Amino acid sequence: MSLLQVKGLGKVYNTKLGMRQCVALKNVSFEVIEGEFVAIMGASGSGKTTLLNILASLDKPTTGDVLLDGTSFAAIPDRELSEFRRKHLGFVFQDFNLLDTFTLKDNILLPLVLMQTPLKEMENRVFPIARQLGISQLLNKYPYEVSGGEKQRAAIARAVITDPRILLADEPTGALDSKSSASLLNQFADLHAIGKTILMVTHSAMAASYASRVLFISDGVLFSQLYRGEDANKAFFDRIVANLSILGGGDIA
Amino acid sequence: MRRLFYFRLALSNVRRSKITYLPYLVATAVMSGVFLLIAGLLFSKGMTNTPNGGTAQALFAFGLVVFALFTVLFMLYINNFLIKRRKKEFGLYGILGLDKRHVGRVLVWENLFVIGGGVVCGIVIALVFGRLLFLLLMKLIHVVPGSSFVISFNAYALMLGLFLLVFLITTISNVIRVHTANPIALLSSEKRGEKDKKALVPLAVLGALLLGGAYYYAWTTEIPGIALGIFFPLAIVVILATFLLFLCGSIVVLKLLRMKKSLYYQPDHFVTISGMFHRMRQNARGLATICILSTMLVVTVSGTLSLYLGREEMTRGMYPFDAQVYVPESATEQQIINYDAVLNRLAAQNNVTLRADRSKLITKLPEGEEFRRNNFVWDESVFVDVPTLIFYDGSFRFDVSGTEEDCLVFIQAIRDHYSESFSETPNLIASDIFTTRVQGYGFYGGLLFLGAFFAVLFLAVAVLILYFKQVTEGYEDKERFNILQQVGMDDEQVKRTINSQVLWVFFLPLAATALHMLFASKIIAQMLRSFMLYDWGLVSLCIGGTLLAFTLLYFGIYRTTARTYYRIVRR
Ligand SMILES: Nc1ncnc2c1ncn2[C@@H]1O[C@H](COP(=O)(O)OP(=O)(O)OP(=O)(O)O)[C@@H](O)[C@H]1O
Ligand SMILES: [Mg+2]
Repeated sequence: MSLLQVKGLGKVYNTKLGMRQCVALKNVSFEVIEGEFVAIMGASGSGKTTLLNILASLDKPTTGDVLLDGTSFAAIPDRELSEFRRKHLGFVFQDFNLLDTFTLKDNILLPLVLMQTPLKEMENRVFPIARQLGISQLLNKYPYEVSGGEKQRAAIARAVITDPRILLADEPTGALDSKSSASLLNQFADLHAIGKTILMVTHSAMAASYASRVLFISDGVLFSQLYRGEDANKAFFDRIVANLSILGGGDIA
Repeated sequence: MRRLFYFRLALSNVRRSKITYLPYLVATAVMSGVFLLIAGLLFSKGMTNTPNGGTAQALFAFGLVVFALFTVLFMLYINNFLIKRRKKEFGLYGILGLDKRHVGRVLVWENLFVIGGGVVCGIVIALVFGRLLFLLLMKLIHVVPGSSFVISFNAYALMLGLFLLVFLITTISNVIRVHTANPIALLSSEKRGEKDKKALVPLAVLGALLLGGAYYYAWTTEIPGIALGIFFPLAIVVILATFLLFLCGSIVVLKLLRMKKSLYYQPDHFVTISGMFHRMRQNARGLATICILSTMLVVTVSGTLSLYLGREEMTRGMYPFDAQVYVPESATEQQIINYDAVLNRLAAQNNVTLRADRSKLITKLPEGEEFRRNNFVWDESVFVDVPTLIFYDGSFRFDVSGTEEDCLVFIQAIRDHYSESFSETPNLIASDIFTTRVQGYGFYGGLLFLGAFFAVLFLAVAVLILYFKQVTEGYEDKERFNILQQVGMDDEQVKRTINSQVLWVFFLPLAATALHMLFASKIIAQMLRSFMLYDWGLVSLCIGGTLLAFTLLYFGIYRTTARTYYRIVRR
């Protein structure tokens, strides 16, 4: 059975000024099975962030539904939504979204603290993850004292520390240079290798070539998808670029 | 031509960044208006002419100095905040090729517009609002007749001088800041965490020791009379300690809390404690200022209120008997005895009765009782026996009963007929409670009026600081709470932690004020003794009442400004 089922999602924004409506998503359906690494690509304004926010239960669709492990998002009462989010979903944002008032360690622990995890358990979890992501030395620093790549790694640590069913990332490499992007993507690949399910929005074909499948969105519609199959990164990258040129958008880098 | 260019650029900058400049303009206007009014009161003729006005003037002058200091600090704080926001823009200028000297020049003009505009608004506020307030308070409290509202030239000069200073300091610090930073640093400096001072713990300890010392001293020391020489240094120490404790002590306490892991890693505490770090680092100065301002407010109002309410007791204290009529030293015993009858006759003519109750005379102070003016110890050797009244130490003493008006007329009659009995010294030396009462009520009414005036002004400043804090915090917190919600904090939790942080920040200054007042109450009571007010109960009641009224008012302000905050955060 699929881990995540997306059924006929539609999203219409009502802009406050004027009566104009903005259709951000139209009848988007797809499934993600456990352990997959899916990249979502599309031109700017095509609805990627909108889709991800809905999958993250941060926003509600106008039509359609999302099911995680067979549980419909629509069936979860508002009150329990944040708990559901805390338990089952992890996010990484383009601009890190770390809190300046916490050290990296406390930022990473935040979801666990909210879940009232025992102290010992928290300590046991944070160190291995930090080591894996190479930020063990930085745990006691504040976000404004570390580099962008390090911040993003802390954000990943925060996202995975609860051991979520699925990891959602919105342009996680957007604010990083190519070197830190590559090291970050390798970390995603490592997480994928140990069986994590990852859904990542990206502009860059380079980033998408780390995934096992790429979905292409155009003007709110699921346009096409590519499976990696047995390809190596490079070959997959070439196919993505070729597909993008048909779509007419996206960065090559 | 070139100069005009900077002038225009500056003008358009101010117009464009209205949102950032408006609070600065408003702050300048309110602070300059309030300062002008306080200075105006201080230099007013009414103040110098009133009896005992010198002491009151010294106290108010002290208030003015403290207030001037706050004005400078507060303006720097706002300027600091403003310039932090605009650093990005300056960096951009640099990259676009406007060199630093030119950016500096634009800054000078901008600052001039804003502070100049603010001061002009301030003067208008002072003239309009000041007059209204004056009229309103005149209606509520009876002041010496003939009082009017005029701001003297000196007050204007002082205010302009102060704001010139503010202008110079802010301009220089802004220009230096632009000069020392490179464009990249300027561009990225908008969002940066704040570092703690190095000597945090020693400073916090120093603050605690100073405050403890001041409290101990205030509570245990008997000060003679008004003792401004003791009061002022003590007040300065308390102000210093308050600032140290708010700035450093709070951070130290939070650090200790954070070290206690079992406490810190609780969902609510976790977010609240870390949020408080941020708030205290940003707002400690503002909060300490509010605390000092409110303490000054409560001291002023409760002091003047005590005097106003205690005026009868004070007057009574000065007059164990209603009237005292001196007899020339040369008068013979027979003349004195005759005069007793004269006084009785005058009393009968004016529908008043005289009484001389000998039981009011205390010849020996009871064990354990304090000396007061109205339990004066009478020395038996200087009495002269007269038929009906008391003659002691060269003068007649007696109580007068009748309507207040008749009593005043009776006193006047004594003055008029004095030379008939003692032709060799036609000028009567007499003092009586009725005349003093009429004068005294005007004076204490005037003091209370000044106190109330100050209170309103201080309150205006406190509201300004609070409002400013709320708005700036609101925008910052909005982002933080967004993130927390994304990480899985539910609405209820967000609401709870916001509430507890806002409450802490608000009620910390109030609690500190109450504590200051508790320890200051004794010194205030002692100082009021030099005004002949010996009623501890009344003074405590006035302090308590003022504190209570202030708390209610503060709570009201909190509710209104907090609404703005919540509107921003929860949008
Ligand atoms: N809150 C909103 N209100 C109204 N319209 C919105 C809102 N958020 C997004 N939109 C519109 O919905 C469309 C899709 O936006 P979305 O943010 O999902 O794009 P995106 O694919 O993430 O773009 P980018 O790659 O630039 O981040 C856009 O046309 C956008 O203008
Ligand atoms: Mg987007």
